[in-house]
Amino acid sequence: MKSIRIDSTNGLCGAFFIACGLFFAYQSWILDMGTALRMGPGYFPLLLAAVLVLLGIFVLVQATRVQGEPIGPLAWRGMLLILPAPIFFGLTVRGLGFVPAIFITAFTASFASVRMKPLAALTLSVGVTFFSYLVFSKGLNLPFRPFGPWLGF
Amino acid sequence: MELIDNLILGFTTASTLWNLLFCLIGVLLGTLIGVLPGIGATATIAMLLPITFQIGDPVSALIMLAGVYYGAQYGGSTTAILINMPGESSSAVTAIDGYQMARNGRAGAALATAAIGSFFAGTVSTFLIALFAIPLTAIALKFGAAEFVSLMVVGLISSIALAHGSVIKAMGMVVLGLLLGLVGTDVISGAPRFNLGIREYADGLNFVAVAVGVFGIAEILRNLENEHDRSVLIKKVHGLMPTREDFRRMAAPILRGTALGSVLGILPGAGAILGSFASYTVEKRMSAHPEEFGKGAIEGVAGPESANNAGAQTSFIPMLTLGIPTNPVMALMAGAMIIQGIVPGPNVATEQPSLFWGIIASMWIGNLLLIVLNLPLIGLWVKLLTVPYYILFPIIMAFCSIGVYSVNSNVYDLYVVAFFGIFGYALMKMRCEPAPLLLGFVLGPLLEENLRRAMILSKGDPTTFITRPISATLLVLAAAVLVIVFLPAVKKKRAEVFVEESA
Amino acid sequence: MRKLLAAFAAATMLALASGAQAQTYPDRPITMVVPFAAGGPTDTVTRLVAEAMSKDLGQQIVVENVGGAGGTLGAARVAKADPDGYTLLLHHIGMATSATLYRKLPYDTLQAFDYVGLVTDVPMTIVARKDFEPADIKSLLDYVKANKDKVTLANAGIGAASHLCGMMFMSAIQTPLVTVPYKGTGPAMTDLLGGQVDMMCDQTTNTTKQIKAGTIKAYAVTSAKRLDVLPDLPTAEEAGLAGFQVGIWHGIYAPKGTPAEITERLSKSLQLALKDANVAARFAELGTAPSTEAEATPAALKAKLESEIARWKPVIEAAGQFAD
Repeated sequence: MKSIRIDSTNGLCGAFFIACGLFFAYQSWILDMGTALRMGPGYFPLLLAAVLVLLGIFVLVQATRVQGEPIGPLAWRGMLLILPAPIFFGLTVRGLGFVPAIFITAFTASFASVRMKPLAALTLSVGVTFFSYLVFSKGLNLPFRPFGPWLGF
Repeated sequence: MELIDNLILGFTTASTLWNLLFCLIGVLLGTLIGVLPGIGATATIAMLLPITFQIGDPVSALIMLAGVYYGAQYGGSTTAILINMPGESSSAVTAIDGYQMARNGRAGAALATAAIGSFFAGTVSTFLIALFAIPLTAIALKFGAAEFVSLMVVGLISSIALAHGSVIKAMGMVVLGLLLGLVGTDVISGAPRFNLGIREYADGLNFVAVAVGVFGIAEILRNLENEHDRSVLIKKVHGLMPTREDFRRMAAPILRGTALGSVLGILPGAGAILGSFASYTVEKRMSAHPEEFGKGAIEGVAGPESANNAGAQTSFIPMLTLGIPTNPVMALMAGAMIIQGIVPGPNVATEQPSLFWGIIASMWIGNLLLIVLNLPLIGLWVKLLTVPYYILFPIIMAFCSIGVYSVNSNVYDLYVVAFFGIFGYALMKMRCEPAPLLLGFVLGPLLEENLRRAMILSKGDPTTFITRPISATLLVLAAAVLVIVFLPAVKKKRAEVFVEESA
Repeated sequence: MRKLLAAFAAATMLALASGAQAQTYPDRPITMVVPFAAGGPTDTVTRLVAEAMSKDLGQQIVVENVGGAGGTLGAARVAKADPDGYTLLLHHIGMATSATLYRKLPYDTLQAFDYVGLVTDVPMTIVARKDFEPADIKSLLDYVKANKDKVTLANAGIGAASHLCGMMFMSAIQTPLVTVPYKGTGPAMTDLLGGQVDMMCDQTTNTTKQIKAGTIKAYAVTSAKRLDVLPDLPTAEEAGLAGFQVGIWHGIYAPKGTPAEITERLSKSLQLALKDANVAARFAELGTAPSTEAEATPAALKAKLESEIARWKPVIEAAGQFAD
């Protein structure tokens, strides 16, 4: 059967451009447009969003013609453990304080690699925490509280 | 001659034992903090600023702070090259080819090239400042809103050349970057846009957070993809120093990069990033082997790195001669001057000649110390790469969390890091390049703001862009670039590159 | 591994124990939040005052920049902080104007804070590009009224000092002008120096040096009295703009519920800091003066905030521009 085959990389990319373009277009729509001579806050972004959608369509069309490289494996474990690290730091740096937040951030991120052993991760995280505490809190005197109110301060 | 007298005054001020010591401490601290991943020049200076308040003498304090700035710049480039983690907009360009060189086992050569280019650019631009600070200021003042719009049009058109894959995708990345840059509050009307109602994003997305996400985190994720069958990022390291061939190839790019960076660095806002990008574009166009760009071309490190450092230097000009900071780093310097009892303004050169010329002289001394300090350190940095990656990236995650948070104490910036991490990883999977995205991100708000301001100032007359001579010249240049980009011959060359890429 | 854990726990306990014993205020460093980026005029004022205050308090005052959303992010942070005297806010006139400029604030401006005192009141100057035609403030007013479609008035973005002063100016002369917003004072001043834009009303912090160097033309100052640094510059009221007084006043706040002894203690310390020779000298260079002893009190700041909110509300609402 000779159906249309879509290259996965470019197909996704085209769809992604279109989706982003539509998001910004929708968000611009509720803003004041103004006129070409006296543009409102929505004018320029709407124009750009339209261009992005057009480019997306172009990429999508190309995807049906040329086959490129496949997407390849995805770093699921990495995404699951790396991405929450800064979020966790953000959620706890004020509450738990700088020292525990840094420790847990480094500790969580460590396990993104299958090669990391628990003991090595612990040693590494303690080291990083200690170093950061010395440099940023002691050395540079940044306004971070080492231990936060959640721990009774 | 007055200039000679001034320079002598400057060097005698800057080379007292104390001032040399402060310059050295500044350069050293700047390098050490700036080299931590995710911590660029702005964050480093913000962190080290309070230390300089303890220094009683304003000249020493400012010399140290200037040293911190160069050190941080260089430290930022080091992390851009070693782990693809640019801490500042201008080193985003260095990351493109620098990181590829590192992956090819040529980290040492890349770092040495950056150091040599920076030193040369620093030397030239120091003398430019001494000679032409005043006339250059006059040129910068001629840049109104219309001129900025035209300049950014040139920048955006040239950015297409940054792409080493599909041109369409590169254009998409620029446009998406422009849109992301508009997140925040509209300057003209004060209306919040695209921030999903989150007040913490009212001032836009933090550049460092976005850059750390799309470059650094995405790269970490990519390295974690195939842990079992691929041993980590680096091939065998060969040669710490550039070869004779390398030197031959880097000479001209360093010269051109210095010229471009010096000129664009004076302009407020996007000067530094435009300088680096422009240099990259020029080198790629002029190179005999454009196909190497994006895969570790030494020209792609030498040119932008020189432009970067030259621009960093000349961005002092508007602050020293007009008292106007043109970027966040200079705003911090201005704040430091005020705390030391010197209000930056047009009269600093005449009222405080030893301070003015002392800082200029210390720029060169700082650059000298930097290269003396860093050439021997290259071996150490390269050793860092032999540390297994699974040890390296938790450290990277910890430091970039601290670095991003320290700038504004805004935890929402950390959520941006995570979001743009996955965003950047998705882009990588779709074979879209992050560099044009970042250029668009920086230029987006400036382009829109100046476009609308130009229209307000011209009372709604669009001919303002072609009746003002500088603006008209820039638009002609933009047209010329456009022609070159779409010229058949060039297109063919590009096609070859593309074919090779997908082969 | 167990040893490491034990060591870590021990270190944690030690740190916990040393911080837990509170006797007399202050017994640990105080954080003073500036709701703006480092390097700006408010940051500078804060660092100068904080250093002088920490000498008296015997504890370091750490300045933390929590910039964003016109200063409301930093204010919100302090509004939610523990009222123990260890988190303070140094904010300027924006504290009063954001109450109207922002229709949705995460705190109630008048209810969320206790007061320490006023720090300084930075006067504003009406300035123009150096080749702007009118020779003095009187002819400026005539010229502006006659050319209201041509004259361009710069400001540094919504809620900025120059934006507020510009609104007050247009309201005083009853003439709307072409306003040109910029992102920050730097680019606005660059365009004024380059003659791209005609006029601006901005803090002496930014304008004094330029006026003295002759790179811009000054017409009037918005304070009640003429300034020592610019003695030839008439006040706006002298020129017949009755009631046209705008100052970027700065005050120190604490979260609501801070014990009165603590705010009194801080107020005493602030009064001492404002008499510090270094602070006075730096303020003078910036074209401003420290607040008097009577102004550096909780009551004076409370009264100022209340009257300023009432004063700016109609002006901002008439301009019809909001920041959210």
